[in-house]
Amino acid sequence: MAINGSLLENAVAAEPATRPTWPAQLWGFARGKPLGAAGAMIIVGLLAVAVLAPTLAPYDPYLPDYGAQFSSPGADHWLGTDEFGRDVLSRVMHGARIALFVGFAASFLGCSLGGLLGVVSAYCGGTVDLLLERAMDVLLAFPQLILALAVASILGPAVPNVVIAVAIPIIPRAARVVRATALSIKENVYVEAAHGLGATHYRVIRQHLLPNVLAPYLIILTAQLGTAILAEAALSYLGLGAAEPTPSWGLMLSGSAPAYAEKAPWIGLFPGVAISLAVFGFSLFGDSLRDVLDPKLRGR
Amino acid sequence: MRTYLAKRLLLIVPTLLGVAAVVFLIMRVIPGDVSLLILGGDQTGRIDPQQLAALRHQLGLDQPLAVQFATWLWGVLRLDFGTSLWTGQPVIDEVLIRLPLSLEVAILATIVSVLLAVPLGMLAAVRQDTWVDYAIRVVSIGGQAIPSFWVGILVILFLVIYFGWGPPLEFTPPWVDPWANFQQLVWPVVTIGYRYAAVTTRMTRSTVLEVLREDYIRTAWAKGLRERAVVIRHALKNAMLPVITLVGTEFAFLIGGLVVTETVFTLNGVGRFVVDAVAHRDYPVVQALVFLIALSFVVVNLLIDLTYAWLDPRIRYH
Amino acid sequence: MTTLIRRRPALVALLTLALIVTALAAAGRLDAADTPRRGGVLLAVIGADPPSLDPHQESTFANIELVAPLYSTLLQLDPYAYPKIIGDLATEWKISPDGLTYTFKLHPDVKFHDGSPLTAADVKASYDKIIFPPAGVRSVRKNAYTAVSQVDAPDPTTVVFRLKFPSASLLANLASPWNVIFPKKYLDQDPNYFKTHAIGSGPFKFKNYTRGSTFEGERNPAYFVKDRPYLDGYKFYISPETSVRAAAIRSGRAYIEFRDLPSAEVEAIRKQLGDKVAVQETPMTGEWGIAINNTKKPFDDVRVRRALSLGIDRYTMAKVLQPLTGLRYVGGLMRPGSEWAMSPAELEKIPGFGRDAEKNRAEARKLLAEAGYPNGFKMVLKNRNVKLPYQDFAVFLIGEWRKIGIEVEHRPLETAAWFSDGQDTGNFEVIVAPTVEFMDDPDQFLGRYATGSTQNWGRFSDPQVDDLFSRQARALDHNERKKLINQMEKRVLENAYFMTGLWWSRNLVHWTKVRNYVAPPNHYTNQKLQDVWLAED
Repeated sequence: MAINGSLLENAVAAEPATRPTWPAQLWGFARGKPLGAAGAMIIVGLLAVAVLAPTLAPYDPYLPDYGAQFSSPGADHWLGTDEFGRDVLSRVMHGARIALFVGFAASFLGCSLGGLLGVVSAYCGGTVDLLLERAMDVLLAFPQLILALAVASILGPAVPNVVIAVAIPIIPRAARVVRATALSIKENVYVEAAHGLGATHYRVIRQHLLPNVLAPYLIILTAQLGTAILAEAALSYLGLGAAEPTPSWGLMLSGSAPAYAEKAPWIGLFPGVAISLAVFGFSLFGDSLRDVLDPKLRGR
Repeated sequence: MRTYLAKRLLLIVPTLLGVAAVVFLIMRVIPGDVSLLILGGDQTGRIDPQQLAALRHQLGLDQPLAVQFATWLWGVLRLDFGTSLWTGQPVIDEVLIRLPLSLEVAILATIVSVLLAVPLGMLAAVRQDTWVDYAIRVVSIGGQAIPSFWVGILVILFLVIYFGWGPPLEFTPPWVDPWANFQQLVWPVVTIGYRYAAVTTRMTRSTVLEVLREDYIRTAWAKGLRERAVVIRHALKNAMLPVITLVGTEFAFLIGGLVVTETVFTLNGVGRFVVDAVAHRDYPVVQALVFLIALSFVVVNLLIDLTYAWLDPRIRYH
Repeated sequence: MTTLIRRRPALVALLTLALIVTALAAAGRLDAADTPRRGGVLLAVIGADPPSLDPHQESTFANIELVAPLYSTLLQLDPYAYPKIIGDLATEWKISPDGLTYTFKLHPDVKFHDGSPLTAADVKASYDKIIFPPAGVRSVRKNAYTAVSQVDAPDPTTVVFRLKFPSASLLANLASPWNVIFPKKYLDQDPNYFKTHAIGSGPFKFKNYTRGSTFEGERNPAYFVKDRPYLDGYKFYISPETSVRAAAIRSGRAYIEFRDLPSAEVEAIRKQLGDKVAVQETPMTGEWGIAINNTKKPFDDVRVRRALSLGIDRYTMAKVLQPLTGLRYVGGLMRPGSEWAMSPAELEKIPGFGRDAEKNRAEARKLLAEAGYPNGFKMVLKNRNVKLPYQDFAVFLIGEWRKIGIEVEHRPLETAAWFSDGQDTGNFEVIVAPTVEFMDDPDQFLGRYATGSTQNWGRFSDPQVDDLFSRQARALDHNERKKLINQMEKRVLENAYFMTGLWWSRNLVHWTKVRNYVAPPNHYTNQKLQDVWLAED
């Protein structure tokens, strides 16, 4: 679908002569986009928990305690314990590391590969473009989850494999968006001028195309973060995600949660809340970021 | 227009071929094959290597990959998707048993999502940056954020405990008993519909917002028509195209995307069938299903693009 | 004194087990004494679709639960007195003194559902298909009949099995629920006919099957057992989701789940339905163990294997896993409580089966150090990606091995990949490997430890084990056979060629209006439903 070339002008126009200091920028963002700011705060909070999990978590997330199975939330275990007596709070905290790792790694990998392919495709044009575009068509025609499912089946369940399985379906989506922008920039006078001055392809791509596709790249990156976390959860639910006893949120609410939902609802409730909160945070932030960077770029 | 159409149709061919090749390869790369599963049963294996070889031969799995692929492709061209390795039934029969259910759920879920999303999205746009807007956005973003299978599990649990409702054990087609059919599908439909409503609400909001900024709307405004009339008559009409696009694409994806929800609600539909078939290494079934899903996706996309091209001649030259 | 105290829990467990079994048998008899009510359709739930309808070619409960009511077998296990063998089609049988000729007399007027009579020729045709399958026909249990040289049908009501060498397990294998008798004329047309059709002589006739949804049978009015069956029919709802099956029982849309439901679900059902439901807890002829790849370093070292086995506190495992998974009894290669099992005292002498967990762990660390791994090592545990009991079993093991310094990476695989790694390629270090059979038959349970057996996932070869196995298979004297079996068990477990984990148990839940169903210790036998009746609809 056509995405018009106004992005460049916007990007240029949005660059005032004197930049405000970054706290001021942040304040401006928070004032103008309160929901986005709320999303950012959730993300920062999660990041903090993820980084500090080893110090913050009251228990070893792997350590079973057969004397304290199914403890309800209380003073000893704030969020209760699971069927092996493992502390749910500690597992949720450590789970943040895995969720954020899968989310960032998968969307970074997918968007970067996709973005690169998009730029190359747009820049080279002709046969390369045609071939790459058809390849992206093929990947796009697969339902996202089914593709991830197939890849996960091949690689087997483990966190790094989940990253790859989740990243692959992101590639064509990122390639689409970035290619569209890159195409419009390529037509610009100064790129031709650079060519005229004898710049190498590599140089033109690096100096002129890449910086200018940064905006759509960032937008699709944040948009895919939440999707990646959800995809990890869905794969775990289908038995193709992280393996027990890894404290992965998806695994925590898929394995034992349904069976013990009545007896010990906290086992599945808190990881579910954690996933929703994380995805919620990323979506809020991503939405606002999109508004700020380019109100017209609505591609998914 | 005719050249554009021809060009688009031509481009579909490599895409579908690519999909066919990729799914074929993926299934062959996945470790473990169907003959082991057939011989091994569910809990413990007792497999005779001779029988294994015989079965592989019987299923044609001992032929070179290229031959297997060519055979399959030739079948597809004649609309013959082969027989399921797992059940021995024609794949197309197995698909047809499940398709009505998935289609019905997908259609109903789409209707639910449009009915929820369009009014909400418009309201949010008209009241942009008020608490109404924020509330709608928070709810819709929240709706997308909650894993669908988790909602499914919670819904089932809640309904079982308080209303004695359980997920349907068998599918009653609407033409047999509409009321039974409704009772069976209402919760899965609401669960899926709500989620897609969340996506569509956000889309509706942003397109309507964009249209509202256009000059002619401001003019209409200035002419003193009442606010609601303006919105409905002009904005909605113009904003609907992208929304229809989205709904169309979502619908095409929904068929394949029902994987998780069908599993949670044990609906005997196409999505769950894909997961089962992958787990059973039932190559012809997976190949056929993914191919058909991809085909429907490609066709819907084509229709959407053609509509655009028809509306906006510039696109044809893009 | 100390030994006595230490042994007591095992004794108590055994006694309880005995009590449960007797009580259940009594319950069954008691029901039988009530006046059975005719009519009604038994509604059941089941967790999977069968690959095909032919039991000769399948080994999943998903096949046998659905089709067992449609067929008759030569012999069967007594529905009320497991593991007693009684006749089904056979009215009487004789074994020659040398143990090489088995002669069976058949019930004279049995008819197939299509009206044709069932004769010895049909029995022969069915068993020929099982023992000597034609090309292109699978026979999953062929190996259980290696002793049989030929099957004869000298007259319409006589079947003779001739053996090459005596086989202690033959009668048990002829009572197999899988060996249903098909009409010969259809087999002659197509030996795979019954993969998609079902014509038998059982108490019910095939009515309808919608894959992924329902399977139905209706009463066979011409059934050869007088006044049976009581039911008008039966209907299975097929749903792979445990929570859905549990919900179906809870809401009364199904009355029974023959296999197993997790205890958490059972608890919830009981809480809601009170005395409207009954739970039959039975032991199971199934064991969850760990195959060790004896061909891979460092597992070719007996000290390492023994350390792995010593590292597992099986008694705590039983306590923890029983409420979660039903894995319940500590035992050797034969089911504890069965006629073949070693005594607990003998068992506890085997490394890893002693009751002092701390002592075992110290011993394990010492062995690891001697083998050159004073700081332990890392290994990959492969598993099947099924929650119960596979995943929980692995979680416990991983925690245990961590205590002796072994760091485990858990890799649950889809069934297909798990099979191919475990059986086909041997691409694993340690892998969860369950053994589930239809009865406590030594040939069925021990065959997998022989050299070259396809089920010998651990790929070990010990001539002494092989010799003990083939001797026990031919030992017609019960005590003699038991001695050989126990020797073989000790040999395998002491060398830790394979590690047993825990023996399984199940919770069979049904509405109390389902009468006269006594759960056997497995989910394959007693599925004919001919005596089952419904107290109300």
